[in-house]
Amino acid sequence: MRMLCGNTFREMSLLTVQNLKVHYPVRGGVFHSTKAWCKAVDGVSLSLEPGETLGLVGESGCGKSTVAKAVVRLLKPTAGQVVFEGHDITHSGQGALRTLRRQMQMVFQDPAESLNPRHTVGQILEEPFLIQKLGARSDRTEWVDDLLRRVGLPPDAVHRYPFEFSGGQRQRIGIARALALKPKLIVCDEPVSALDVSVQAQVLNLLLELQRAFGLAYLFIAHDLSVVKHMSDRVAVMYLGKIVELATMDELYRNPLHAYTKALLDAVPAPDPTKRRQRQLLRGDVPSPINPPEGCAFGHRMNHPRWKESVGMDLKLVEMKAGHWVQRCPCCVG
Amino acid sequence: MADPLLNVRNLRVGFQTDQGLLTAVDDVSFSIEAGKTLGIVGESGCGKSVTAMSILRLLPQPAGRILGGEVMFEGRDLSKISLEEMRRVRGNDIAMIFQEPMTALNPVHPVGRQIIEAILLHKPMSATDALRRAVELMNWVGIPAPDQRVNEYPHQLSGGMRQRVMIAMALSCSPRALIADEPTTALDVTVQAQILELLKRLQNETGMAVILITHDLGVIAETCDDVAVMYAGRIAERGPVGQIFARPLHPYTQGLMACVPKLDHPPKTPLPVIPGMVPSLREMPAGCRFASRCPNAHSDSVLAERQPWQECGHGHGVEACACFAATLSAK
Repeated sequence: MRMLCGNTFREMSLLTVQNLKVHYPVRGGVFHSTKAWCKAVDGVSLSLEPGETLGLVGESGCGKSTVAKAVVRLLKPTAGQVVFEGHDITHSGQGALRTLRRQMQMVFQDPAESLNPRHTVGQILEEPFLIQKLGARSDRTEWVDDLLRRVGLPPDAVHRYPFEFSGGQRQRIGIARALALKPKLIVCDEPVSALDVSVQAQVLNLLLELQRAFGLAYLFIAHDLSVVKHMSDRVAVMYLGKIVELATMDELYRNPLHAYTKALLDAVPAPDPTKRRQRQLLRGDVPSPINPPEGCAFGHRMNHPRWKESVGMDLKLVEMKAGHWVQRCPCCVG
Repeated sequence: MADPLLNVRNLRVGFQTDQGLLTAVDDVSFSIEAGKTLGIVGESGCGKSVTAMSILRLLPQPAGRILGGEVMFEGRDLSKISLEEMRRVRGNDIAMIFQEPMTALNPVHPVGRQIIEAILLHKPMSATDALRRAVELMNWVGIPAPDQRVNEYPHQLSGGMRQRVMIAMALSCSPRALIADEPTTALDVTVQAQILELLKRLQNETGMAVILITHDLGVIAETCDDVAVMYAGRIAERGPVGQIFARPLHPYTQGLMACVPKLDHPPKTPLPVIPGMVPSLREMPAGCRFASRCPNAHSDSVLAERQPWQECGHGHGVEACACFAATLSAK
């Protein structure tokens, strides 16, 4: 057993993303020609082990959700590679993707908008089995009952419609649907940001419990750093389509290296009035991914005196310590 | 204690619906002094926004109306004055900013024009002077290149900049009080920090009172002097921010504080939760409204009778439900 867990043997990663790029054409003019490219995701690499949670944080517009959608192949990457369990799925067609979706599922931010309002909860939860042509009707009924029990919803929910449920319960329905096919990976795109804190805690506990029970891996996207910290084994910080820092949860929060990570952590208000402090305010907003600034985008925003040095540099992630990767540019990493 | 600027007494607000009259805010009292910040915290649907709306009489018509109580502001009861007078109070004496600046701003007018509109409504001034004032205001709230931004449309601005425009508009007539209804909920943490800092600075410069409505305890802890914790249309607990955080008395306040993941909470361990949900307005008990979710044991009388309000010193008060009232007197 020791041998297996040691450094000499490493299990195959569940998910590997290599240099992922998603660019959208910006069209305009008389001939609807491509005027520019919106580089929503511009060279993201990450990996996820079975049963692990990788948190993905960053300000809105930094490309978190685009990464999520590209990983489950709800959209087609412009360049790069997405490898799931050793299979390159970057260019898989609809048929292959359908089989693949037994293994990877997604939970969306707004449960009200991601559930069909004209279907009962029973129909919603049965649909994954129907699409995959699994089980007889009696099996499916049994599975749906089991799912409801798993996520803590009453059995009579089967005959009710999504609008009859509160936000937290709807998110439970969304989670049950993602769980239906017993996937190995669930991509959670801001699963609790629409919920109240007391309900948020319930849903987070449910996600943790399901992870333990089924050995799920999560790609967990959120903008709330305390939530991400609570849920994740490792955390990746994104800024303007790129990962600027990636480390284990502990290491990142204790020893952030990139100036953006530091600023992000500093901006979280502490729920303790005795800890009020003068913070270093981050100026400005995330720049537009259409025609992003040259060199280090964050150094440019901060008007850093050494930003010029980063122009033309190959800003790759560098492993500063074991498992602690950071985009090393002269302006942001001291 | 100085005279309060705004004093809300026993406010009750109801909505006429198909299922009859629903009381969304039931007997809410609080007050705020000039230069202070009062935070109102609670979960969605607990009546925070309805309370704020009813101060300015902006309740959706004709369904919503004030059923009782008073809103005293500078010797006048805002809930009783004529609509004409109320219109002079809005924006001029008490201003309000909203959660989503994109829906609060008019998308087909340049932002400058919208600020000018607010100024000209209350102040006798030429259009040129109003424009100059608008540029000054935008500069004051930290919008870079205000003389160009003044001609831009809301969609050309980022979320943080839009919220700054809203603040500039709200402060255009130097109000005595500002009601900020979830001003940073739609914003990123970094931009949230900027906006909260801005509000603090403007408050220091003008001495206005701020009512900050939020569901984020972190925001409350960082910015407020006093807090009112609302639950299901009533105030469960009220007091100075230091007291409330150091010694929360009501089980709801305690639960609310416990279930927020903190940066120093052991990761991947279950968080404490408040079980269940807020009872619906149709099934609201007459007594303690938190009883169905409360970890303490209850007698039936707790649900049937309104629980008394108890002051515990230093302005710290709580709706002393029988399930914990004994511990209060012991202290």
